Amino acid sequence: MRQLRMSFLLLLCVTLLASCTEVRAWERGYLAREEMAWDPDVLESALNDHIFFSKEASSGGNSAAGGGCGCN
Amino acid sequence: MADAPPTQSTVSYKISKYQEDDLSRSETPFGELERYDIDVHQFQLVSPIGRNMSLQVAANYESLSGASPWFTSTGLDGKPIVNLSGASGIRDRRSEITIGSRYYLENGSVGGNMGYSEEDDYRAVYFGLNGERHFNNDLTTLSAGFSYSSDDIFPTDAALFNRVTDEDKQSSSVYFSISQIINQVSSIQTALSVTDQTGFLSDPYKLRDIRPQDKTQIAWSNSYRRFFVSANAALHINYRYYHDDFGISSHTTDMSWHQNIGRSFQIVPILRYYSQSSADFFTNIDNFLTPITEYQSSDYRLSAFGAVSGGLNFIADMGSWKATLTTERYVANEKYSAYNVTQPSTALVKYFRVSLGFDFSF
Repeated sequence: MRQLRMSFLLLLCVTLLASCTEVRAWERGYLAREEMAWDPDVLESALNDHIFFSKEASSGGNSAAGGGCGCN
Repeated sequence: MADAPPTQSTVSYKISKYQEDDLSRSETPFGELERYDIDVHQFQLVSPIGRNMSLQVAANYESLSGASPWFTSTGLDGKPIVNLSGASGIRDRRSEITIGSRYYLENGSVGGNMGYSEEDDYRAVYFGLNGERHFNNDLTTLSAGFSYSSDDIFPTDAALFNRVTDEDKQSSSVYFSISQIINQVSSIQTALSVTDQTGFLSDPYKLRDIRPQDKTQIAWSNSYRRFFVSANAALHINYRYYHDDFGISSHTTDMSWHQNIGRSFQIVPILRYYSQSSADFFTNIDNFLTPITEYQSSDYRLSAFGAVSGGLNFIADMGSWKATLTTERYVANEKYSAYNVTQPSTALVKYFRVSLGFDFSF
């Protein structure tokens, strides 16, 4: 089952990368919109990371960890 | 989606209140049922310095009161029950300040930050360095970063409850990510982070909590963004796989729909699902007969469970002013777990949060 899941994710990544097209700088208007940012609200995501860090065992992801706290 | 220095300064402030649901009398036959009530104030300033640099200052203040699980035991029906600490209520405060700067190059940027966090019983000093480089006509971005935190733990009422008096732990973390523009309306990012913690990793406030003194955590995150022109909305999908050598694995996925309404308003529904397996040494009923060298914890955060949360953001953007109202409901339950649950935990958390944020650019 685990191998199947990994295979599916790899296939998905390869398919998405293979479908990439050349996008000129002047064609990136939609991509540059605030709601398309990886992190549109920095305070909101920092708060969520902190709350989930204090309620769940998992942390980390697309940035290096910051300082610890006594909440976990 | 190349990084660019800010052209104006932005001050942001957000106030949040969230309250954990009370426990039921069947879970906690004796004493207090009331759990944490938490207020958080966040402040941030991002400002350009010259043409190629930016400065970021962030400060947080958090205050909490309530009670937290102290130990678990067997109820009259043989099921686990939880006993809360702080019958008269725990009170704690946390203050944190972080200062960072970023220098923008022709094909990327480099940045660093340092921070200090202090509570009544905990102190952390940390720093981080990171950089990113754009390739392939800025269609591809590689990012990498490193951070280090040195933490001190000095529990309150240590002599009264026979707790440790002064312990420390260190955390080192690295990450690497690749972002790729797929077409005019969509992009994808994948990232890997590895964190190593050494030192005192137990909970000093639990009656019996003995954990290994070293933990390695690996997280693999994936994000997808797509803009729907006809709907004037953006779709965000994120997925994270996590594993650590306490034996915990987890899946986290969330999805949000950023619907523009006219030029000034946006409504954002968010759904999140989380599920984790239990730590190898988790027990739902504390065993006080085992030697104190044997790993053991009844911390519900180390049990197998699932959690579902949903929220709604309302955003009003008036040019130089922006206001954001957020509501969120979070419910954890062993029945939601995607993993096998052999020892269901008591005291899994439910909470409701409300946040109000303002941004002012000048």
